[in-house]
Amino acid sequence: MKELLGKVDEPGIIDCSCLLKGKDVIVSSFSKSKRNHETIAKQTFSYLFLNVAKQKTKHDEAHLEIGEQRLSGFLLKPGLVLVCLSDKNLNITKVRSHIQHIKHLILQSEVDKMLA
Amino acid sequence: MTMTDYKVLFTGSVCSGKTTAIRSLSDIETVDTDARVSDSAIRRKKKTTIAMDYGVLDLSETARLHLYGTPGQERFKFMWELMMSDLVHDAEGLVLLVDNTRNDPFKDIRFYVEEFRDFIVRRRLIIAVTHSDEQADPDHEYYMGELKAMGLFTTVIFIDARDPSSVLKIVKELVGHREKNIDWKGLGQRLEVNSTMPRIEVEGDQEKEPLAVSEDEPVSLLDAALNTRGITGAIHLGSDRKVLSSNVSNKQNKDLLRSMVNLVSALETKASFMGSIEDLVLCGPQQETLSVFVEEEQALGLCSEKDLSINVVKQQAVDLLQWSQR
Repeated sequence: MKELLGKVDEPGIIDCSCLLKGKDVIVSSFSKSKRNHETIAKQTFSYLFLNVAKQKTKHDEAHLEIGEQRLSGFLLKPGLVLVCLSDKNLNITKVRSHIQHIKHLILQSEVDKMLA
Repeated sequence: MTMTDYKVLFTGSVCSGKTTAIRSLSDIETVDTDARVSDSAIRRKKKTTIAMDYGVLDLSETARLHLYGTPGQERFKFMWELMMSDLVHDAEGLVLLVDNTRNDPFKDIRFYVEEFRDFIVRRRLIIAVTHSDEQADPDHEYYMGELKAMGLFTTVIFIDARDPSSVLKIVKELVGHREKNIDWKGLGQRLEVNSTMPRIEVEGDQEKEPLAVSEDEPVSLLDAALNTRGITGAIHLGSDRKVLSSNVSNKQNKDLLRSMVNLVSALETKASFMGSIEDLVLCGPQQETLSVFVEEEQALGLCSEKDLSINVVKQQAVDLLQWSQR
């Protein structure tokens, strides 16, 4: 699983990432010094996408800019969110296109197997 | 005798002084395409450039400078691209006008440098800071330090767009090394007629400036938001994050925005040690984008069309909050 996040993390784009299943982090590349960001991301995106589900809308992407960083959450499938940490000054479209590129890889490989 | 023609492109946020700077320098009556403001800038001025500004400055008998100005609003971005690829593809440089009264002038710099990145790569970039008479900080030294940290090694000049001799500093920086025969002093004197600096009227021993403030009706933040292309609803929040006014009609959007505001309030309390929260955005391919932009004194929730880029929404929110007068 950790190798999968290796494909997500990209120098200059994504500093680190994690996968949320419900309210739990199932795999993470956040370092100890970034653990607070991981906690905030967990609370933020689980709460947000829970509300999205309640409202039955199709929002599947969220971004929170806090301090000098940006936390992005991508809803891969109901209950499964990919979280990425990047510099807040980085163009958001770069983060988005990078994730779009590997989103299917993640879904089609180990994550699907593990959730099966 | 052959004439050398130079071109320069002026860009920058709404109200940064592009049109004024070109008028200050031009030997001809400038061509401008002003129309009544129809977006967030309405809170600050009633007319804005919708296509481009154009002026000409005769530098000497053998050199001429063509002055082009972009519209400031991002919704006229197609004009930026059109100008870069056609009219000014052979320009000497780009002058980025930065309004020093903006809450975060460096955010504007990052935005425009990103938008004009390909254009700047092959040309000279000059950052011209305006409105420093209203807001002195950040100063020149601070700009240089911040730009260095951003990896931008460029020239920063503080100017008053209304004063031709001040704007002329940009021209000197741009073409002075190529054109050695320009009589800069004479040029400055010739352009003095273009000055729009406020005149000091002397009455007895007292000096006073004439009032130049528009007495037009103030426009509310929500009206300005709804006047902005692509924005479909807005919520204005106070420093306590309680709703001051709202015009979001869609119930789902209203509920989601409310939950986003609640989340931001909670994070501001619990995660303040990680730095301030700037914004929270929620989007999807088939949904309107919902965003909350946070400042200490106020916050703004926006619903925007899904095709409007997040960067543009952010810039509009910055404009709306900047000129908000609660």
